[in-house]
Amino acid sequence: MEGSGAIAIAASLAVLTGLGAGIGIGYATSKAAEAVSRQPEAAGKIMTLTLTGLALAEATAIYGLLIAILLFTKV
Amino acid sequence: MMNGEELMHKMQFKGYDINVLGFHIPISDSIIVMWIVMAILIVLSIIFTRNLRMVPTGKQNVAEIIVEFVNNLTKGSLGHYWKPFAPYFGTLILFLGLSNIISIFNIIPSGKGIAELTGLSFFEHIPEIAPPTKDFNVSAAFAVMSIFLVLFAGIKFKGIKGWLKSFIEPIPVLLPFKILEYFTRPMSLTLRLFGNILAAFTIMELVYFAVPIVVPSFLSIYFDLFDGGLQAYIFVFLTLLYVGEAVE
Repeated sequence: MEGSGAIAIAASLAVLTGLGAGIGIGYATSKAAEAVSRQPEAAGKIMTLTLTGLALAEATAIYGLLIAILLFTKV
Repeated sequence: MMNGEELMHKMQFKGYDINVLGFHIPISDSIIVMWIVMAILIVLSIIFTRNLRMVPTGKQNVAEIIVEFVNNLTKGSLGHYWKPFAPYFGTLILFLGLSNIISIFNIIPSGKGIAELTGLSFFEHIPEIAPPTKDFNVSAAFAVMSIFLVLFAGIKFKGIKGWLKSFIEPIPVLLPFKILEYFTRPMSLTLRLFGNILAAFTIMELVYFAVPIVVPSFLSIYFDLFDGGLQAYIFVFLTLLYVGEAVE
């Protein structure tokens, strides 16, 4: 199909949103580990906050994946 | 190499149409897998809760661990409102957990493979056991159930007046965002579950295609067991968070 190569490249570019999610999740987890080692008794609350943050950070990667899939159907 | 068309075919609607009393009812693969999940859960719950005793032995210990885990989870987020919600969240975490990891029970060769080997067309109808949550519709149904739970919990525990008032608290400027939340929350819940499971499923399909032996067994531990379990937990956890916010 004409232009399918460009669509494939666009789909692969959309997946680059994973970069931001990866950095965000790594940063949040390292800070959570730091916080727990500083105050082990607050582990439960920190866990709650971290999971919420991770889920929100991860959403961007998922939106990228979704757009990639939508583009993929056009190839 | 597996091309895009083949992959799309794996992701699309597959299933059977049945005609009952002139009604045309499509039954998709995800529904069949969900029936399997339900059957497994029902049978297990009957087995695990038979002959309950005061002093637990054997299988009753496992059942008590699961129930206690769910109770503690709901208690942690909902405080003293936990009681009416615990059964729903227990069901949700068990169902989603088993649904997400069910692809480790996949039959290899699949139904189609058996049909080709034996020449019996009956086996062709056995669906491939893939997580039903990779179907957008299934994930969306769970997310809509969650948001309705949030809605009803808010109305029940605050009263109509208090619930309406919660929209303009702490400042009325937030009203459009609070209304919008009822639409963005199910959407993000759906996409998170669906996207993660579909991504894991697609990667596992590619691995099965590229290296059919040894390697998939290790990757499957991460993509099927860990990721599936984690996503089920996160879904339940976020729903708990939303409900906790609604009843407070």
